[in-house]
Amino acid sequence: METVKINDLACNDLPWKVIYDTKRCTLCGSCVAACTFGAIKPKVERRRKSFSDTETPEPKISFSATPVITQVNILKQFCRGCGVCERVCPNNAIRSERNPDSRFTVVSQALTGASPKRGGRNNLEVQARTLDTIRVGRISQMTDPSLDAQRHTFDCLAPFGRILPAGKLPLATGSDGKLVKNGQTPPVRWIYPVIIGDMSIGALSWRMWEAVAMAVSYLNEECGLPVRMCSGEGGMPVRLLKSKYLKYVIMQIASGHFGWNRIIKAMPHMVEDPAGVLIKIGQGAKPGDGGLLMAAKVASHIQAIRGVPKADLLSPPNHQGLYSIEESVQKMFLSFNAAFKFRVPVAIKVAASATSVSVFNNLVRDPYNIVGGFFLDGIDGGTGAAHDISLDHTGHPVVSKLRDCYLAACAQGRQGQIPLWAAGGLGKTGNLAADAFKMFCLGANGVFTGKLILQLAGCLGNEHSRCNACNTGLCPAGITTQEPLLVRRLNPDRVAENIVNYFLAMDQELRKLMAPIGNSSLPVGRSDCLVSTDKAVADRLQVQYVC
Amino acid sequence: MAAFISGFDEQNKRISTQQLLQKIYGALDQGETEFEILASGHHDIGGPLWTKDGKPLKFTVKNPGQRVGSFGLEGTEIVVEGPAPADVGWLNAGATLTLKGDGGDTTGHCAASGKIYVGGRGGTRTGSLMKHDPSYDMPELWILKNTGSFSFEFMGGGIAVVCGYDSEKFESVLGDRACVGMVGGTIYVRGPVKGLSKQVWLLDLDATDQNFLLDNMPVFLEKIGRPHLLAELTDLSQWKKIVAMTWEERQRLDRISMKEFRTQKWVEGGIFGDVVEDDYERVVNFVNTGEDRLKVPHWQNKLYGAPCQTACPTGIPTQDRINLLRQGKIKEALELVLNFSPFPASVCGQVCPNLCKDACSRQFIDLPVAMQELGRMSQDAAAPPKKTASGRTIAIIGGGPGGLSAAWQLSLLGHSVTIFEGDKEVGGKLRQAIPMERLPREILDSEINRIKEMGADIRVSQKIDKNSFEAMQSDYDALVIASGAHNPVVIPFPGHERLVRGLDFLKSINSGERPKVGRKVVVIGAGNAGMDVALGAYAMGAEKVTAIDVQRPAAYQKEIDHFTALGGDIQWPVFTERIDENGLYTKDDRLIEADTVIISIGERPDLSYVPREWLTDRGMMDVTDCWQSVKNDKVFAIGDTIKPGLLTNAIAGGREVAEYIDAYLNGWELVPKKKPEMIPQEKLSRELFIPQNRGRFRITDAKNEVNRCISCGTCRDCSMCLETCPEGAIVRTEKEDGNVEYNSDDRYCIGCGICAGICPCGVWAMEKMFP
Repeated sequence: METVKINDLACNDLPWKVIYDTKRCTLCGSCVAACTFGAIKPKVERRRKSFSDTETPEPKISFSATPVITQVNILKQFCRGCGVCERVCPNNAIRSERNPDSRFTVVSQALTGASPKRGGRNNLEVQARTLDTIRVGRISQMTDPSLDAQRHTFDCLAPFGRILPAGKLPLATGSDGKLVKNGQTPPVRWIYPVIIGDMSIGALSWRMWEAVAMAVSYLNEECGLPVRMCSGEGGMPVRLLKSKYLKYVIMQIASGHFGWNRIIKAMPHMVEDPAGVLIKIGQGAKPGDGGLLMAAKVASHIQAIRGVPKADLLSPPNHQGLYSIEESVQKMFLSFNAAFKFRVPVAIKVAASATSVSVFNNLVRDPYNIVGGFFLDGIDGGTGAAHDISLDHTGHPVVSKLRDCYLAACAQGRQGQIPLWAAGGLGKTGNLAADAFKMFCLGANGVFTGKLILQLAGCLGNEHSRCNACNTGLCPAGITTQEPLLVRRLNPDRVAENIVNYFLAMDQELRKLMAPIGNSSLPVGRSDCLVSTDKAVADRLQVQYVC
Repeated sequence: MAAFISGFDEQNKRISTQQLLQKIYGALDQGETEFEILASGHHDIGGPLWTKDGKPLKFTVKNPGQRVGSFGLEGTEIVVEGPAPADVGWLNAGATLTLKGDGGDTTGHCAASGKIYVGGRGGTRTGSLMKHDPSYDMPELWILKNTGSFSFEFMGGGIAVVCGYDSEKFESVLGDRACVGMVGGTIYVRGPVKGLSKQVWLLDLDATDQNFLLDNMPVFLEKIGRPHLLAELTDLSQWKKIVAMTWEERQRLDRISMKEFRTQKWVEGGIFGDVVEDDYERVVNFVNTGEDRLKVPHWQNKLYGAPCQTACPTGIPTQDRINLLRQGKIKEALELVLNFSPFPASVCGQVCPNLCKDACSRQFIDLPVAMQELGRMSQDAAAPPKKTASGRTIAIIGGGPGGLSAAWQLSLLGHSVTIFEGDKEVGGKLRQAIPMERLPREILDSEINRIKEMGADIRVSQKIDKNSFEAMQSDYDALVIASGAHNPVVIPFPGHERLVRGLDFLKSINSGERPKVGRKVVVIGAGNAGMDVALGAYAMGAEKVTAIDVQRPAAYQKEIDHFTALGGDIQWPVFTERIDENGLYTKDDRLIEADTVIISIGERPDLSYVPREWLTDRGMMDVTDCWQSVKNDKVFAIGDTIKPGLLTNAIAGGREVAEYIDAYLNGWELVPKKKPEMIPQEKLSRELFIPQNRGRFRITDAKNEVNRCISCGTCRDCSMCLETCPEGAIVRTEKEDGNVEYNSDDRYCIGCGICAGICPCGVWAMEKMFP
């Protein structure tokens, strides 16, 4: 007799169902050995049947007890659908299947009194992406000389730093009639227009973070591609701070100010300036919410670098002590410019919001020439951990907001002075070059990307709620965990190679888009190149509507 | 005599390209094969033209426009007496074309056969897309000086020779970024080359190359009228050869591997090397053995207690008893229980409510294991061997189940025991109060005899008072107070003097006095003792017995069923107001008619022989967790003198106090005994057992329970784990003491947890290797 009650958690309450075929299973144990969530377990199933196989009823009983694999109905161990069981099964006997009748949101809140959290991404998105309604529609077909993607020299560079208009450059005519510099110019780094976005050393495993750093350094040193990465909030390994590869890393300061003690202490020992500083105000995936690193991931080295004990680490949703845009310029921009003696550009990252243009307009005035970039992060961005409610119900798409900011700068004749960088779901469908290119045409100087990098590393998650367990520290791929047993699953060389190869391929693809429109430099603001098959998108973005 | 074709009309005005070409076609139709053409930038001179009889065609051209010699066929020779603009020899299909001056852009573009000799420079994209059709001779493109940038792009075949003459001012005689996309053909080049595609090889000449240049250079120089340069241009040490990488060669990476980068160029030891220990070379699979497993199995035999064992206050491990039976060790099995209780037949087999059965895991399959029958089987089992005599003496006050249990255990430990019993015979309530139909005398007597045979000095009819108790304290090494609870509790409601005390009533029955009861009897208190009283009342002739209680009756269902089967009635909650000759009046003024009212709501111990300050406020012995008097460490107390309990609690007390006293006498620290934790049901795999039909179930021989007992928490040595382990990692070892041990070999185990998931007994457990 089973004693199941209505309020007992059942597997069909959970978001994923484990589908298991006992006839195909040889009980090799691979699935149960590999599952990091403890979502499946071995057990014995009783098969008892009465039957009669004679002319008149003569009951017989057949009985067998068979070891099987079964799903676990424990809330903390619910199946995330990562598919590792299916991956390791030699016989196709097991897989997880999305449960359309899941009661998870209800039961998990009812059982725990806490809001559910996850890592990863926005999963409620069902409509077509704006960028997918846009095509590069103005192709040089005898109207102007097209370029050859293979043979032409392309200038795939974007500025990170404050660009002064020609008239404002500190130049004067010397006594010999030649131009002489008579003042300080703000630092500008011309870098690859795709930055690897800010993912912290706490969010990523040390192997993953190091693989990203290696890939970036390799791209610079071995491939001549000046790609940069952003450290993410939460500090940086001291050995990197003291190495020559620091020049490829944009350091992040966020509201938690984690890790800056070691960064400051390393300053006298730095042999290179960092590529830049990025002040993180907000994040597209969970705007209005601060950073969140679950205790399970606060490993001892994270505790040391961040200077905190093992606990859930929450960054405040706002920089404490910042009350206005003007103050942020004064305090954050000035201080971080000064930290590196005005040699290192400083930019700011905010979540796209209905009010982003106001912020941007304020920064564009920048009388001190210290605002080195405006990073806009949209709703489709990723996160290491966030409350479902933030991921699912807050946020603002990046495309129209980036366009608004660009047009606002144009209206003032100041486009390009504060470089615009955009992110949030770019590369979501696998092709970052196309997304990036369209964003350039809409006015972005560059883009940054995060989730795609995880995909390159082997992340099993997707935008349809698969895995999304970065917050648990149980990442089956060893990417977002600090657990040595799981981190060991990740091959840092392979990850770095994948990232390098992707960037090399993307670089070719960018040329493949630049060539047909006849641009040998990034087509920033060349919205004439774009057409949209969606009238609303075309109107909103001021690009040509086609059908 | 060559036909002269002019690009000008009679008025000396330039004619169109079409008109000029029509003139050539006309002359050709009239049989002309040699042409002298004075052009003025006219295009497409020289091909594709042919004669029907195969006679060769020769064109001498001055001042041509673009594409001179384009599409030229073999048999056509074209000589341009100066420079020519773009596309000289474009798509040359076999013509020999000599250009005495410079060629414009894309000279030799797409040439696939024939020969092109250029006596000056070539423009950008010279030689691009040259090919070689293997059915014909290779095309050749000779350039005296140098080329513009992007030369030989996408070259697929043929030979190009760039002599680098008069090109000292150029950084690269092939311009910038030559040979991009080149997949075939050979370029001989003399002079500096820069910005060359990375997908070609720049090589030294071999003998074939040298012979080619030495053989053909005079021809070239002759054609362009510069034979005097021969010596300068045949210094072969100045020449190089460019060939495309093969398709296979292109697949190779032209950069170092990431591992090389990490080990040779990256921050030594890794950027986290100072804060994390990691060997990056080690990359594990999803499924691993050894220290890379996510979970590790442990064979935790007996870590958990079986439900029978842990539910039993005496802690009798029936699973061990049945395992011995399973091994055919019947004698050992029947004797095992005597290490825990001297009363397996009397108590387990007869009067105990059998908490073991209530907890038994087998009940979830069909019915609990036959504990009573197992107990009865040990009625005549021989006592275990005694330890050698210690010479220590212990006095036990009270020869009830607790005292006898203590005497039994202390004797087994080799101590010398004296029992002081107030009654005429030992046995306590087992003898005095339990109805004989529930506990036949011969069973009790045989077990008490077994105790007596242990050699305890039993002194009956002993009255202990303060003096004798004090004397005992100096006469013995330790004392056990086990005098039980024999003062029935009476509540002083009006008419209480009419009450019969339940314990007295039972004692009177058991001593054969046949106490009188009325026709209608009310028993206050519907606990187990109350039920005994009620049954006694029926036995003494009552016609209607009503048991009342202020709360849900505490008696076990078995007792209640027995009572109601006789016609008894239980009422609750009922609060007594008063009692008179009519019966019992409740607080809600109801009369329950009764001739006799018996009260059976418990007893208190009579500890008047113990100093008052040794007792608690409630008049019980004040003892530590090891049942040692807090006032006198040689005095211990058990059973109802500490807390009212079941017979089995008293027996447990006797067993445990014996161990404490043994420790005390040996001068060891007294540590409260801990019971093993009861195994959680979900650890068991009960599904492995075939349920028997409850409706048909009969116990015939309790020895057959070996097939029904699950052996919860204790390995039953079934080898289910060993057979099921996918890696064959489990090893079974028979130890010298006859016990069996299972181990999982770390070298093979993958930590799947199947052993733990399917173990019927819940012995295997998985340790998670990360939080």
